[in-house]
Amino acid sequence: MKPIMQCANLLVIPLWLLVLLAGCGATTTIDQYRPSEQPIVITEGERIVLLGRRDAADYETDLAYIDCVSEKIQTAGIDVVDGQVFMDAIYPWFEPRTAPKGLVHLRQLLQQPQIRQQIDRQGLRYLVWLDGSTESQDTTGSISCAVGPGVGGCFGFAKWDKLSTYEAVVWDLHSLQEQGRLRVDSEGSSYLIGVVAPIPLLTPVKSDACNGMGNQLKSFFSTQ
Amino acid sequence: MVNITSISTASLPQLGPLMALLLMLAGCSSSTSIQLDTNFPPVLAEPRPISAAIVFEARFSNYSAEPNQYTSMAIGNAQVELFKNAFTGLFDPVEFVSAEEEIQGQPSLVIRPSVWEVQMSTPSENYLNVFEVWIKYNLEIKTADGEVLTTWFMPTYGKTPESSMGSKSAAIEKATITAIRDAGAKLHLDFYQIPALKNWLARDPQPYRQVTADAPGGVN
Repeated sequence: MKPIMQCANLLVIPLWLLVLLAGCGATTTIDQYRPSEQPIVITEGERIVLLGRRDAADYETDLAYIDCVSEKIQTAGIDVVDGQVFMDAIYPWFEPRTAPKGLVHLRQLLQQPQIRQQIDRQGLRYLVWLDGSTESQDTTGSISCAVGPGVGGCFGFAKWDKLSTYEAVVWDLHSLQEQGRLRVDSEGSSYLIGVVAPIPLLTPVKSDACNGMGNQLKSFFSTQ
Repeated sequence: MVNITSISTASLPQLGPLMALLLMLAGCSSSTSIQLDTNFPPVLAEPRPISAAIVFEARFSNYSAEPNQYTSMAIGNAQVELFKNAFTGLFDPVEFVSAEEEIQGQPSLVIRPSVWEVQMSTPSENYLNVFEVWIKYNLEIKTADGEVLTTWFMPTYGKTPESSMGSKSAAIEKATITAIRDAGAKLHLDFYQIPALKNWLARDPQPYRQVTADAPGGVN
Protein backbone atom coordinates (compact mmCIF):
# COMPACT_ATOMS: atom_id res chain seq x y z
CA MET A 1 0.00 0.00 0.00
CA LYS A 2 2.82 2.40 0.94
CA PRO A 3 4.56 2.37 -2.50
CA ILE A 4 1.21 3.12 -4.15
CA MET A 5 0.75 6.17 -1.89
CA GLN A 6 4.28 7.38 -2.69
CA CYS A 7 3.58 6.97 -6.37
CA ALA A 8 0.33 8.93 -6.03
CA ASN A 9 2.18 11.71 -4.19
CA LEU A 10 4.73 11.87 -7.00
CA LEU A 11 1.93 12.23 -9.54
CA VAL A 12 0.30 15.18 -7.76
CA ILE A 13 2.64 17.85 -9.15
CA PRO A 14 2.53 16.74 -12.81
CA LEU A 15 -1.26 16.36 -12.56
CA TRP A 16 -1.57 19.82 -11.07
CA LEU A 17 0.54 21.25 -13.88
CA LEU A 18 -1.54 19.38 -16.46
CA VAL A 19 -4.74 20.82 -15.01
CA LEU A 20 -3.21 24.31 -15.16
CA LEU A 21 -2.02 23.87 -18.71
CA ALA A 22 -5.41 22.55 -19.74
CA GLY A 23 -6.86 25.73 -18.27
CA CYS A 24 -4.59 27.76 -20.58
CA GLY A 25 -6.65 26.91 -23.64
CA ALA A 26 -9.06 29.62 -24.73
CA THR A 27 -12.71 28.89 -25.46
CA THR A 28 -13.76 30.54 -28.70
CA THR A 29 -17.33 30.97 -29.91
CA ILE A 30 -18.15 32.19 -33.41
CA ASP A 31 -21.56 33.43 -34.52
CA GLN A 32 -22.25 34.52 -38.03
CA TYR A 33 -25.05 35.89 -40.15
CA ARG A 34 -25.03 35.86 -43.94
CA PRO A 35 -27.89 36.54 -46.32
CA SER A 36 -26.66 33.73 -48.58
CA GLU A 37 -24.83 30.46 -48.08
CA GLN A 38 -22.84 31.09 -51.25
CA PRO A 39 -19.38 32.56 -50.76
CA ILE A 40 -18.79 36.12 -51.93
CA VAL A 41 -16.86 35.86 -55.17
CA ILE A 42 -13.91 38.23 -55.53
CA THR A 43 -12.97 38.66 -59.16
CA GLU A 44 -9.65 39.69 -60.68
CA GLY A 45 -8.71 43.25 -59.67
CA GLU A 46 -11.18 43.46 -56.79
CA ARG A 47 -9.78 44.18 -53.37
CA ILE A 48 -11.00 44.45 -49.81
CA VAL A 49 -10.04 46.73 -46.93
CA LEU A 50 -10.24 46.05 -43.20
CA LEU A 51 -10.82 49.01 -40.91
CA GLY A 52 -11.10 49.15 -37.12
CA ARG A 53 -13.91 51.07 -35.50
CA ARG A 54 -12.51 53.95 -33.46
CA ASP A 55 -15.61 55.76 -32.30
CA ALA A 56 -16.19 54.04 -28.94
CA ALA A 57 -15.38 56.17 -25.92
CA ASP A 58 -13.34 53.67 -23.94
CA TYR A 59 -11.45 51.58 -26.49
CA GLU A 60 -10.20 51.38 -30.06
CA THR A 61 -10.01 48.27 -32.14
CA ASP A 62 -6.28 47.72 -31.99
CA LEU A 63 -4.09 47.71 -35.06
CA ALA A 64 -2.30 44.49 -34.11
CA TYR A 65 -5.59 42.60 -34.23
CA ILE A 66 -6.57 44.15 -37.58
CA ASP A 67 -3.16 43.28 -39.03
CA CYS A 68 -3.47 39.72 -37.72
CA VAL A 69 -6.90 39.19 -39.33
CA SER A 70 -5.66 40.85 -42.51
CA GLU A 71 -2.74 38.43 -42.75
CA LYS A 72 -5.08 35.46 -42.29
CA ILE A 73 -7.33 36.67 -45.11
CA GLN A 74 -4.41 37.26 -47.44
CA THR A 75 -3.41 33.61 -47.13
CA ALA A 76 -6.55 32.82 -49.16
CA GLY A 77 -5.15 34.87 -52.06
CA ILE A 78 -7.40 37.85 -51.36
CA ASP A 79 -5.87 41.25 -52.10
CA VAL A 80 -6.20 43.38 -48.97
CA VAL A 81 -5.57 47.14 -49.07
CA ASP A 82 -3.71 48.57 -46.07
CA GLY A 83 -6.21 50.41 -43.88
CA GLN A 84 -4.00 53.46 -43.32
CA VAL A 85 -3.31 53.78 -47.06
CA PHE A 86 -7.07 53.71 -47.70
CA MET A 87 -7.83 56.29 -44.99
CA ASP A 88 -5.12 58.61 -46.34
CA ALA A 89 -6.38 58.25 -49.92
CA ILE A 90 -9.91 59.14 -48.86
CA TYR A 91 -9.05 61.65 -46.11
CA PRO A 92 -10.96 63.04 -44.22
CA TRP A 93 -14.00 60.84 -44.84
CA PHE A 94 -13.04 57.78 -42.78
CA GLU A 95 -11.72 59.53 -39.68
CA PRO A 96 -13.45 58.65 -36.36
CA ARG A 97 -15.60 61.79 -36.68
CA THR A 98 -16.63 61.25 -40.30
CA ALA A 99 -16.61 57.48 -40.96
CA PRO A 100 -20.07 56.16 -41.89
CA LYS A 101 -21.69 54.31 -39.00
CA GLY A 102 -24.25 52.60 -41.17
CA LEU A 103 -25.19 51.92 -44.76
CA VAL A 104 -27.38 55.02 -44.97
CA HIS A 105 -24.35 57.21 -44.29
CA LEU A 106 -22.18 55.15 -46.63
CA ARG A 107 -24.68 55.70 -49.45
CA GLN A 108 -24.70 59.45 -48.77
CA LEU A 109 -20.90 59.54 -48.74
CA LEU A 110 -20.55 57.65 -51.99
CA GLN A 111 -22.84 60.10 -53.73
CA GLN A 112 -19.84 62.43 -53.81
CA PRO A 113 -18.22 61.69 -57.16
CA GLN A 114 -14.62 62.20 -56.02
CA ILE A 115 -15.05 59.66 -53.20
CA ARG A 116 -16.70 57.13 -55.51
CA GLN A 117 -13.90 57.61 -58.05
CA GLN A 118 -11.19 57.14 -55.43
CA ILE A 119 -12.75 53.87 -54.26
CA ASP A 120 -13.05 52.63 -57.83
CA ARG A 121 -9.47 53.71 -58.58
CA GLN A 122 -8.24 51.49 -55.74
CA GLY A 123 -10.29 48.56 -56.97
CA LEU A 124 -12.06 48.32 -53.63
CA ARG A 125 -15.10 46.08 -53.60
CA TYR A 126 -15.62 45.15 -49.95
CA LEU A 127 -15.11 47.01 -46.70
CA VAL A 128 -14.82 44.94 -43.52
CA TRP A 129 -15.37 46.82 -40.26
CA LEU A 130 -13.75 45.23 -37.23
CA ASP A 131 -14.96 46.33 -33.83
CA GLY A 132 -13.99 45.03 -30.42
CA SER A 133 -11.34 44.72 -27.75
CA THR A 134 -9.62 42.36 -25.34
CA GLU A 135 -10.20 43.01 -21.65
CA SER A 136 -8.73 41.52 -18.48
CA GLN A 137 -11.28 40.54 -15.86
CA ASP A 138 -11.49 38.89 -12.43
CA THR A 139 -7.92 39.00 -11.17
CA THR A 140 -7.45 36.78 -8.13
CA GLY A 141 -4.53 35.71 -5.96
CA SER A 142 -1.34 37.57 -5.22
CA ILE A 143 2.34 37.19 -5.85
CA SER A 144 5.18 38.83 -3.93
CA CYS A 145 8.76 39.29 -4.99
CA ALA A 146 11.62 40.20 -2.70
CA VAL A 147 15.32 40.84 -3.23
CA GLY A 148 17.93 40.68 -0.46
CA PRO A 149 21.71 40.51 -0.34
CA GLY A 150 22.56 37.50 -2.47
CA VAL A 151 19.04 36.11 -2.53
CA GLY A 152 15.72 36.88 -4.13
CA GLY A 153 12.58 35.28 -5.39
CA CYS A 154 8.87 35.42 -5.98
CA PHE A 155 6.20 33.45 -4.14
CA GLY A 156 2.51 33.23 -4.65
CA PHE A 157 -0.10 32.60 -7.29
CA ALA A 158 -2.15 34.94 -9.45
CA LYS A 159 -4.89 34.22 -11.93
CA TRP A 160 -6.77 36.47 -14.31
CA ASP A 161 -9.37 35.97 -17.00
CA LYS A 162 -9.28 37.58 -20.42
CA LEU A 163 -12.17 38.09 -22.78
CA SER A 164 -11.85 39.05 -26.43
CA THR A 165 -15.01 40.17 -28.20
CA TYR A 166 -14.80 41.23 -31.82
CA GLU A 167 -17.39 41.79 -34.50
CA ALA A 168 -16.87 42.03 -38.26
CA VAL A 169 -19.35 43.55 -40.68
CA VAL A 170 -18.85 43.16 -44.44
CA TRP A 171 -20.11 45.97 -46.70
CA ASP A 172 -20.30 45.68 -50.47
CA LEU A 173 -19.11 49.00 -51.87
CA HIS A 174 -20.83 48.39 -55.22
CA SER A 175 -24.30 47.25 -54.17
CA LEU A 176 -24.00 49.23 -50.90
CA GLN A 177 -25.49 46.31 -48.99
CA GLU A 178 -24.34 44.36 -45.96
CA GLN A 179 -22.97 40.99 -47.02
CA GLY A 180 -22.44 39.38 -43.66
CA ARG A 181 -21.80 39.79 -39.98
CA LEU A 182 -19.53 37.77 -37.74
CA ARG A 183 -18.91 37.78 -34.00
CA VAL A 184 -16.08 36.05 -32.16
CA ASP A 185 -15.92 35.65 -28.37
CA SER A 186 -12.80 34.09 -26.94
CA GLU A 187 -12.11 33.68 -23.24
CA GLY A 188 -9.54 32.01 -21.10
CA SER A 189 -7.55 32.21 -17.88
CA SER A 190 -3.89 32.97 -17.45
CA TYR A 191 -1.75 32.15 -14.43
CA LEU A 192 1.41 33.43 -12.81
CA ILE A 193 3.06 31.02 -10.39
CA GLY A 194 5.80 32.30 -8.12
CA VAL A 195 8.14 29.46 -7.15
CA VAL A 196 11.40 31.40 -6.70
CA ALA A 197 11.14 32.50 -10.33
CA PRO A 198 7.79 33.74 -11.64
CA ILE A 199 6.35 31.23 -14.14
CA PRO A 200 3.74 32.69 -16.49
CA LEU A 201 1.16 30.40 -18.10
CA LEU A 202 -0.55 32.69 -20.58
CA THR A 203 -3.63 31.89 -22.62
CA PRO A 204 -3.48 33.39 -26.13
CA VAL A 205 -7.03 34.73 -26.04
CA LYS A 206 -6.56 37.50 -28.62
CA SER A 207 -4.59 35.23 -30.91
CA ASP A 208 -7.38 32.66 -30.80
CA ALA A 209 -9.94 35.38 -31.52
CA CYS A 210 -7.83 36.44 -34.52
CA ASN A 211 -7.56 32.87 -35.82
CA GLY A 212 -11.31 32.35 -35.43
CA MET A 213 -12.17 35.64 -37.11
CA GLY A 214 -9.59 35.27 -39.91
CA ASN A 215 -10.51 31.71 -40.81
CA GLN A 216 -14.24 32.41 -40.73
CA LEU A 217 -13.88 35.56 -42.84
CA LYS A 218 -11.83 33.56 -45.34
CA SER A 219 -14.78 31.24 -45.74
CA PHE A 220 -16.98 34.26 -46.59
CA PHE A 221 -14.97 34.90 -49.74
CA SER A 222 -13.82 32.89 -52.69
CA THR A 223 -11.41 34.07 -55.36
CA GLN A 224 -11.72 33.45 -59.09
CA MET B 1 26.16 66.48 2.03
CA VAL B 2 28.32 63.91 0.28
CA ASN B 3 31.83 64.97 -0.61
CA ILE B 4 32.22 63.54 -4.10
CA THR B 5 36.00 63.91 -4.10
CA SER B 6 36.28 61.55 -1.13
CA ILE B 7 34.86 58.59 -3.07
CA SER B 8 37.73 56.40 -4.12
CA THR B 9 37.71 54.37 -7.34
CA ALA B 10 37.72 51.19 -5.27
CA SER B 11 34.31 52.04 -3.89
CA LEU B 12 32.77 52.63 -7.36
CA PRO B 13 31.56 49.01 -7.80
CA GLN B 14 29.67 49.36 -4.52
CA LEU B 15 27.86 52.36 -5.98
CA GLY B 16 26.49 50.24 -8.83
CA PRO B 17 23.20 49.26 -7.13
CA LEU B 18 22.72 52.85 -5.96
CA MET B 19 23.24 54.15 -9.50
CA ALA B 20 20.81 51.54 -10.86
CA LEU B 21 18.21 52.60 -8.29
CA LEU B 22 18.71 56.25 -9.19
CA LEU B 23 18.29 55.46 -12.88
CA MET B 24 15.08 53.55 -12.13
CA LEU B 25 13.72 56.44 -10.06
CA ALA B 26 14.65 58.89 -12.83
CA GLY B 27 12.64 56.71 -15.23
CA CYS B 28 9.63 57.02 -12.93
CA SER B 29 9.36 60.79 -13.53
CA SER B 30 8.42 59.87 -17.11
CA SER B 31 8.75 63.17 -18.92
CA THR B 32 7.65 63.09 -22.55
CA SER B 33 8.70 65.37 -25.36
CA ILE B 34 7.17 65.09 -28.81
CA GLN B 35 8.31 66.79 -31.99
CA LEU B 36 5.67 66.26 -34.67
CA ASP B 37 6.80 66.58 -38.27
CA THR B 38 4.24 64.21 -39.69
CA ASN B 39 3.06 64.44 -43.27
CA PHE B 40 -0.68 64.60 -43.70
CA PRO B 41 -2.59 63.50 -46.78
CA PRO B 42 -4.32 65.99 -49.08
CA VAL B 43 -8.06 66.19 -48.60
CA LEU B 44 -10.41 64.57 -51.04
CA ALA B 45 -12.85 67.40 -51.58
CA GLU B 46 -13.89 69.90 -54.21
CA PRO B 47 -13.08 73.44 -53.02
CA ARG B 48 -15.61 76.24 -53.38
CA PRO B 49 -14.70 79.14 -55.65
CA ILE B 50 -14.09 81.53 -52.78
CA SER B 51 -10.78 83.32 -52.42
CA ALA B 52 -9.20 83.18 -48.99
CA ALA B 53 -5.96 83.98 -47.23
CA ILE B 54 -4.88 81.91 -44.25
CA VAL B 55 -2.59 83.63 -41.79
CA PHE B 56 -0.30 81.30 -39.85
CA GLU B 57 1.31 83.55 -37.31
CA ALA B 58 4.66 82.56 -35.83
CA ARG B 59 3.15 81.53 -32.49
CA PHE B 60 0.86 79.13 -34.38
CA SER B 61 3.47 77.66 -36.72
CA ASN B 62 6.00 77.30 -33.86
CA TYR B 63 3.43 76.23 -31.31
CA SER B 64 4.57 73.94 -28.55
CA ALA B 65 2.02 72.75 -26.00
CA GLU B 66 2.70 71.78 -22.41
CA PRO B 67 -0.47 70.05 -21.27
CA ASN B 68 1.23 69.15 -17.98
CA GLN B 69 4.62 69.66 -16.33
CA TYR B 70 6.00 66.38 -17.70
CA THR B 71 4.84 66.66 -21.31
CA SER B 72 5.71 68.95 -24.17
CA MET B 73 4.41 68.64 -27.72
CA ALA B 74 5.86 70.69 -30.58
CA ILE B 75 2.91 70.54 -32.97
CA GLY B 76 3.43 73.77 -34.95
CA ASN B 77 4.80 72.28 -38.19
CA ALA B 78 2.28 69.45 -38.22
CA GLN B 79 -0.77 71.64 -37.70
CA VAL B 80 0.37 74.11 -40.36
CA GLU B 81 0.71 71.29 -42.88
CA LEU B 82 -2.69 69.86 -41.98
CA PHE B 83 -4.43 73.25 -42.14
CA LYS B 84 -2.81 73.98 -45.52
CA ASN B 85 -4.20 70.72 -46.89
CA ALA B 86 -7.60 71.25 -45.30
CA PHE B 87 -8.05 74.84 -46.50
CA THR B 88 -6.88 73.90 -50.00
CA GLY B 89 -9.89 71.60 -50.07
CA LEU B 90 -12.23 74.37 -48.88
CA PHE B 91 -11.23 77.42 -50.96
CA ASP B 92 -10.01 78.14 -54.44
CA PRO B 93 -7.87 80.19 -54.72
CA VAL B 94 -6.17 80.11 -51.34
CA GLU B 95 -3.06 81.88 -50.15
CA PHE B 96 -0.95 81.07 -47.07
CA VAL B 97 0.98 83.81 -45.32
CA SER B 98 2.66 84.36 -41.98
CA ALA B 99 1.25 87.89 -41.43
CA GLU B 100 -1.72 89.82 -42.84
CA GLU B 101 0.65 92.39 -44.35
CA GLU B 102 2.06 89.69 -46.63
CA ILE B 103 -1.25 88.98 -48.40
CA GLN B 104 -0.71 89.47 -52.13
CA GLY B 105 -4.14 89.03 -53.68
CA GLN B 106 -7.57 90.38 -52.73
CA PRO B 107 -9.07 87.51 -50.77
CA SER B 108 -12.72 87.58 -49.80
CA LEU B 109 -11.93 85.96 -46.47
CA VAL B 110 -8.97 86.17 -44.13
CA ILE B 111 -8.70 83.37 -41.59
CA ARG B 112 -6.31 83.36 -38.66
CA PRO B 113 -6.16 80.08 -36.74
CA SER B 114 -4.77 79.93 -33.22
CA VAL B 115 -4.49 77.33 -30.49
CA TRP B 116 -6.46 78.12 -27.40
CA GLU B 117 -5.55 75.08 -25.33
CA VAL B 118 -4.15 71.55 -25.47
CA GLN B 119 -5.18 68.94 -22.94
CA MET B 120 -4.06 65.37 -22.45
CA SER B 121 -5.26 62.42 -20.43
CA THR B 122 -3.42 59.18 -19.66
CA PRO B 123 -4.83 55.80 -18.57
CA SER B 124 -3.83 56.51 -14.96
CA GLU B 125 -5.99 59.65 -15.07
CA ASN B 126 -9.01 58.55 -17.07
CA TYR B 127 -9.16 54.91 -15.88
CA LEU B 128 -9.53 53.83 -19.49
CA ASN B 129 -6.97 51.99 -21.59
CA VAL B 130 -6.52 54.97 -23.88
CA PHE B 131 -4.35 58.07 -24.18
CA GLU B 132 -6.42 61.10 -25.14
CA VAL B 133 -5.47 64.49 -26.59
CA TRP B 134 -7.73 67.50 -27.07
CA ILE B 135 -6.65 70.50 -29.13
CA LYS B 136 -8.90 73.54 -28.98
CA TYR B 137 -8.52 75.88 -31.94
CA ASN B 138 -9.96 79.32 -32.55
CA LEU B 139 -10.46 80.48 -36.12
CA GLU B 140 -10.85 84.21 -36.54
CA ILE B 141 -12.72 84.74 -39.79
CA LYS B 142 -12.67 88.20 -41.34
CA THR B 143 -13.97 89.68 -44.57
CA ALA B 144 -11.77 91.55 -47.03
CA ASP B 145 -12.73 94.89 -45.47
CA GLY B 146 -11.71 93.77 -41.99
CA GLU B 147 -15.13 92.91 -40.55
CA VAL B 148 -14.78 90.03 -38.11
CA LEU B 149 -17.53 87.59 -39.05
CA THR B 150 -16.88 85.27 -36.15
CA THR B 151 -14.25 83.62 -34.02
CA TRP B 152 -15.09 79.98 -34.42
CA PHE B 153 -14.20 77.60 -31.61
CA MET B 154 -13.08 74.28 -33.05
CA PRO B 155 -12.22 71.50 -30.59
CA THR B 156 -10.55 68.38 -31.95
CA TYR B 157 -9.93 65.03 -30.30
CA GLY B 158 -7.65 62.05 -30.71
CA LYS B 159 -7.11 58.88 -28.74
CA THR B 160 -4.99 55.79 -29.02
CA PRO B 161 -5.14 52.50 -27.13
CA GLU B 162 -2.48 51.95 -24.50
CA SER B 163 -1.82 48.39 -25.58
CA SER B 164 -1.06 49.03 -29.25
CA MET B 165 1.91 51.35 -28.65
CA GLY B 166 5.30 50.40 -27.33
CA SER B 167 5.78 53.45 -25.15
CA LYS B 168 3.94 56.31 -23.53
CA SER B 169 5.49 58.89 -25.87
CA ALA B 170 4.54 56.83 -28.95
CA ALA B 171 0.96 56.56 -27.69
CA ILE B 172 0.72 60.32 -26.99
CA GLU B 173 2.25 61.09 -30.40
CA LYS B 174 -0.31 58.87 -32.15
CA ALA B 175 -3.18 60.45 -30.19
CA THR B 176 -1.89 63.92 -31.11
CA ILE B 177 -1.68 63.02 -34.80
CA THR B 178 -5.25 61.72 -34.62
CA ALA B 179 -6.37 64.97 -32.97
CA ILE B 180 -4.69 67.06 -35.69
CA ARG B 181 -6.23 64.88 -38.42
CA ASP B 182 -9.54 65.41 -36.68
CA ALA B 183 -9.15 69.14 -37.37
CA GLY B 184 -9.31 68.39 -41.11
CA ALA B 185 -12.44 66.29 -40.61
CA LYS B 186 -14.09 68.93 -38.44
CA LEU B 187 -13.30 71.70 -40.94
CA HIS B 188 -14.77 69.78 -43.85
CA LEU B 189 -17.89 68.79 -41.95
CA ASP B 190 -18.72 72.07 -40.28
CA PHE B 191 -16.90 75.04 -41.76
CA TYR B 192 -19.60 76.08 -44.21
CA GLN B 193 -22.23 75.46 -41.52
CA ILE B 194 -20.92 78.27 -39.30
CA PRO B 195 -23.98 80.54 -38.97
CA ALA B 196 -22.08 83.82 -39.43
CA LEU B 197 -20.38 82.48 -42.55
CA LYS B 198 -23.63 81.14 -43.96
CA ASN B 199 -25.29 84.53 -43.46
CA TRP B 200 -22.39 86.30 -45.11
CA LEU B 201 -22.43 83.93 -48.08
CA ALA B 202 -26.18 84.48 -48.43
CA ARG B 203 -26.00 88.26 -48.39
CA ASP B 204 -22.74 88.96 -50.17
CA PRO B 205 -22.18 87.78 -53.73
CA GLN B 206 -18.61 89.12 -53.65
CA PRO B 207 -16.92 85.91 -52.53
CA TYR B 208 -17.16 84.60 -56.04
CA ARG B 209 -15.68 87.65 -57.73
CA GLN B 210 -12.23 86.20 -58.32
CA VAL B 211 -13.27 83.11 -60.22
CA THR B 212 -14.92 82.51 -63.52
CA ALA B 213 -18.54 81.40 -63.69
CA ASP B 214 -17.66 77.90 -64.90
CA ALA B 215 -15.00 77.24 -62.26
CA PRO B 216 -14.78 73.58 -61.14
CA GLY B 217 -16.87 72.77 -58.14
CA GLY B 218 -19.24 75.67 -58.59
CA VAL B 219 -21.09 77.29 -55.76
CA ASN B 220 -22.89 74.75 -53.64
